[in-house]
Amino acid sequence: MSTNKNELNVKTAADISAAQLNLAADVVIIGSGAGGGINAYELAKTGKKVIVLEAGPYVPSEKFPEMLAASMGMMYEGEGGQSNTDGDITVLQGRCVGGSTVVNAALCFRTPDYYLKKWGKEYGLTNLTPEVMLPYFEKVENNLGISEVKAHETSVGAEYIKKGMKALDIPLGLARRNIRDCAMTGFCFAGCKTDRKQSMAVTYLPWACNHGAEIYADTRVTKINTANGIASGVEAEVVDQATGNVKTRLSVKASIVVLAAGPTGSPLLLQNSGICNSSGQVGKNFACHPSLSVTAMFDKKLNDFHGATHSLFEDSHTLPEQGGWIQLNAVQEPVEASFMAEPGTGKPYVRYMQNYPNSTRLITLIHDKNVGEVTLENGYKEIRYQVDDEDFEAMKKGLKDNARILFAAGASYLYLPTSDKTRINSVDDIDKVIDELKNEPARYRYTSFHPQGTCRMGADKTKTVVNPYGETHDVKNLYIVDASLLPTSIGYNPSETVYALASYIADQINSANPS
Amino acid sequence: MSQINTQRRQFLKIATAMTATVMACSSMQVMAGVLTNEKKMDSTEQAVFKKMLAIALPTEGSTLVDPATLPVIATIEGALLAGMPAHIRKGLNQGIHYFNQSAEKNYGKPFTHLSDAQATEFVDAWSDSHVAPHRALSMGIKKLTVLAYWAIPTTWAPLGYDGPVSEKWGLKKRGVTPEPQA
Repeated sequence: MSTNKNELNVKTAADISAAQLNLAADVVIIGSGAGGGINAYELAKTGKKVIVLEAGPYVPSEKFPEMLAASMGMMYEGEGGQSNTDGDITVLQGRCVGGSTVVNAALCFRTPDYYLKKWGKEYGLTNLTPEVMLPYFEKVENNLGISEVKAHETSVGAEYIKKGMKALDIPLGLARRNIRDCAMTGFCFAGCKTDRKQSMAVTYLPWACNHGAEIYADTRVTKINTANGIASGVEAEVVDQATGNVKTRLSVKASIVVLAAGPTGSPLLLQNSGICNSSGQVGKNFACHPSLSVTAMFDKKLNDFHGATHSLFEDSHTLPEQGGWIQLNAVQEPVEASFMAEPGTGKPYVRYMQNYPNSTRLITLIHDKNVGEVTLENGYKEIRYQVDDEDFEAMKKGLKDNARILFAAGASYLYLPTSDKTRINSVDDIDKVIDELKNEPARYRYTSFHPQGTCRMGADKTKTVVNPYGETHDVKNLYIVDASLLPTSIGYNPSETVYALASYIADQINSANPS
Repeated sequence: MSQINTQRRQFLKIATAMTATVMACSSMQVMAGVLTNEKKMDSTEQAVFKKMLAIALPTEGSTLVDPATLPVIATIEGALLAGMPAHIRKGLNQGIHYFNQSAEKNYGKPFTHLSDAQATEFVDAWSDSHVAPHRALSMGIKKLTVLAYWAIPTTWAPLGYDGPVSEKWGLKKRGVTPEPQA
């Protein structure tokens, strides 16, 4: 029975004074992002007692600063500083109540049938057919208000890019987002201060609390407990975020453990717990959809400061056989613009920033191979990943398309996000400049919003970590419900894939464990 | 060869620290960490960042705010270094010293003693170096410096950028979406 209060029931480190806290529940969920939030609701709704443990803080939306740099310090993994070992790919993930759903761009794409079929054929996920998944997509779309942008939900830069795409006869993709009544501040990545974005913090998590779920923020799980190959609960630490000191040791006994700590957190927790790695695949197969942002300079002010963070995309080359890239527009605040191009030190840089109001950008994001690994080295997280040579060639082709669109939109010249002064001055220069790019570490300013693949799902327990129904092959009643499940990268923003998969797995858990 | 690889690996990790942590830099108002003595800049680091600031943002003759009037160095120290894990902070210190000393090879003096023209030339050359750690250090130290400058909201006015808008626009909170009813 729902209380219909629609309020979060969150305890933070400040609310807890005991040195040791022992709790019991039917289900303990590790992580409160897309997978954790959806499972909290779907399991609590059937009468199960659910406890959600979130390593990050609880930040009420009225405290969102609408400044990306400040938000990163408050709500992102590693204060926004998480990167691959070479340091040239910033891997962004949320770390707060609601997880990445609080700070993502809200872009939603259904998993292409291409991948569902591929996963069935190559990974034995024959249960995840397009027909089976359709009602799950429809359900999360309804619950999260996922819909195509309305005509007014755009930005100045997007309108220019739209003209460029039309001039080149490129099919225009209108973004579908989990946003209701978008206020078009352009601060999706800093968190939506007025709750228009339908993050877990304003949807599934409070709905779960309507059914008795409890959320513990500032609570870092250190170990998953098992007994005779069956999950039995977790050990955790409640951390004072201001000092980093452990305030309380917390233990939760539960017969069902749902792991949703994200594609970097989930494999590390399994490794720390010494479980689920009979396949040797825990932490392997990391992919991240590396993206590069091309800055276009116009001969007039665009003032592309606010608007819908994303409103357009171009996906005619997104499937691997088509090339493997997608183009996305995005508004950009000056702090981000300040390091996305290298015009040259000194006066050239000053001129570049003075002309920031004349700029917009178009992002090229690639489908990448699962060639990375997340592991611990001397106790510290390592994301070992370099862009694969073939993937880099796909990126170059995508950058060429990107550049053509921006020139057709009216750009005077373009900056590529390189360490050196790489500028494209005309359409005629595009091929020459981009053909000369080499796949080198610390040469490009990559950003990734989509880590994935580190606990992949499949029927073969010698090659995968999780079975086709979300339960780990090695430990019964331990389920994984985040983007680490994805057997391959999908080339599109994976949030709706995670929403739907998490919903599907919640149904499997409820079927196997009736209340 | 293995020593070179080890050295290269060490500087790659330093570069990682540089590029990976600058994103955490924010304005003075949101400083969270405590600036302990171990996290404070030493005199060489102070001098490197001051030199980088001088050559990266020569604002005279432009509409941009003079960085000398802003607490940029304090922002780097208070907003970035204070919150940095100890092992990364140590690597960063080593990387900055390496960067400073490396100018001696071509100029006979450290980066901090170069003329502005020489320092600019050095930074641009390293940004396009065939040695990955050189690129990473040059890009990282400059990124850190300019990010600290632009993270100070008073730098935005000359660009016409208005910053946070929800309160200014009088936007109402939508609050929690009601639970779907069966």
